[in-house]
Amino acid sequence: MSAVSHASRGLALPAARSIALPIALLVVWQIAGTAGGNPRTPVPTRVLAAAMQLVESGDLPLALLQSLGRVFAGFAIAAGLAIPLGLAMGAFASVERNVDPLIESFRPIAAIAILPLAILWLGTGTPAAILIVAYAAFFPIVVNTAAGAKRINPTLLRAAATMGLTRLKIISTVIVPGALPAIGVGLRIAMGVAWTAIVAAELAVGAKAGGGGSGGIGQMMFVFYAYSIELNRIVVCMIAVGLVALALDRALRAGMRRAMPWMSA
Amino acid sequence: MSSRTKLRLDGVGKRFDAAGGTVAVEDVTLEVTQGEFMVIVGPSGCGKTTLLNVLAGLDAPTTGTVSIDERPIRGPGPERGVMFQDYALFPWQTVWGNIGFGLRNGPAGDGLDAAGIERRVRATIDLVGLAGSEHKYPHQLSGGMRQRVALARLIANEPEVLLMDEPLAALDAQTRIILQEELLRIWGQDRPAAERRTVVFITHAIDEAVFLADRIAVMTSHPGRLKAVIDVPLPRPRTDATRALPETQSLAQHIWSLIRDEAYRATVT
Repeated sequence: MSAVSHASRGLALPAARSIALPIALLVVWQIAGTAGGNPRTPVPTRVLAAAMQLVESGDLPLALLQSLGRVFAGFAIAAGLAIPLGLAMGAFASVERNVDPLIESFRPIAAIAILPLAILWLGTGTPAAILIVAYAAFFPIVVNTAAGAKRINPTLLRAAATMGLTRLKIISTVIVPGALPAIGVGLRIAMGVAWTAIVAAELAVGAKAGGGGSGGIGQMMFVFYAYSIELNRIVVCMIAVGLVALALDRALRAGMRRAMPWMSA
Repeated sequence: MSSRTKLRLDGVGKRFDAAGGTVAVEDVTLEVTQGEFMVIVGPSGCGKTTLLNVLAGLDAPTTGTVSIDERPIRGPGPERGVMFQDYALFPWQTVWGNIGFGLRNGPAGDGLDAAGIERRVRATIDLVGLAGSEHKYPHQLSGGMRQRVALARLIANEPEVLLMDEPLAALDAQTRIILQEELLRIWGQDRPAAERRTVVFITHAIDEAVFLADRIAVMTSHPGRLKAVIDVPLPRPRTDATRALPETQSLAQHIWSLIRDEAYRATVT
């Protein structure tokens, strides 16, 4: 009896707690922001109004779609290169010996640090943004894939060998599925990194292009910052970036669960 | 009985450098005849599994030679199927997928079309009593069921030589007795020796060894050596009645006497 009431309270309380704090913070923000008397200070009510304007005009959805297109393109390029390379590193020690030092020396160089080169080579448009996203997303995928491929239970590889499988067959039937959970982790991290990179890249490209036509959520933020000084709209963009990132991660997680039915339960 | 040598271990020793130069087995010479059911018994740490890995081609011996059909063994091959002690089931494959794995991806399935593979997998599933669990993943199975999947996977591939490392250890007593008899049937105890498969079977259960074996290789540990090779002249086919024979009892007693001292020492220390 007491156990039952304990359990139900245990379920209800965390839910109430988890929305109590955000609501309190919003209230504090509203009061503090209004108290200053500056009509430009972003507060929840003004941000909400700005959000509705930006959505109704179609500006925000368009910018998000542009950014998402670049993220998906860069992400796909990164995954297309990093997954095969990571698998090869995990499957062949010689590949790992040669490639790993290269990867580890480039990995600490932030994606945004290659922006000058990207702009010089590719201009201020979409290709430069895609390159930066691909660069940023490449490393988490390759590192996790290689680690996952190396961590496979050696008995499974031996079992496959005793059944006479060729090396190539062992890669496709044992190493790939065995590394899949780690690849999934790499993809999720990479998606977060890619989204961070696109905002940074568009901000910087937008600055370079002087608010020109490169588009995307980052450039939109740059325009609100440098030209029209619309703080509420910048906050709207920030929130939109966060929500999209959350949605992308949830979608990836759902995709992983479907691809790996043996991991559930 | 045909006396063609199928597997030959000649002065085989294996030393593991990683574990401080531990000698796992030393100077083991043993011939396994085509169609023979050879059982290896011995206390834990006597190098039974090492010997099996050498026969599988998964470990190279440090000294001595090992051959199949008088050809040196240089690596694993599909004619030598292995059932691993930890089952080595693929976690991402269902029961069905695991049992058909070698048929779909390896040379065991050469000459079989998809329907042929399906029939073989179905028959093997029925044989080991896994019907109804085809679509479960290994982590959803009990230890005994996992062991049956591993056994079924080995059988489905129909290798010439079956190398089995304690294949029935995780089963309950009843299932174990049933599968012992099934195993003898699959091995071919009703057929002439030339048509039988060759089995090397590791167990720590002496009664099981006596019931199954043509010959029993008794090993001792530290380092692992061959202590004796004992003929089991019990008539075939062996059935429940075989277990009750006085010869069965006295053979088991004899083998126990060979390893008793060491087993006690291993338990007490």
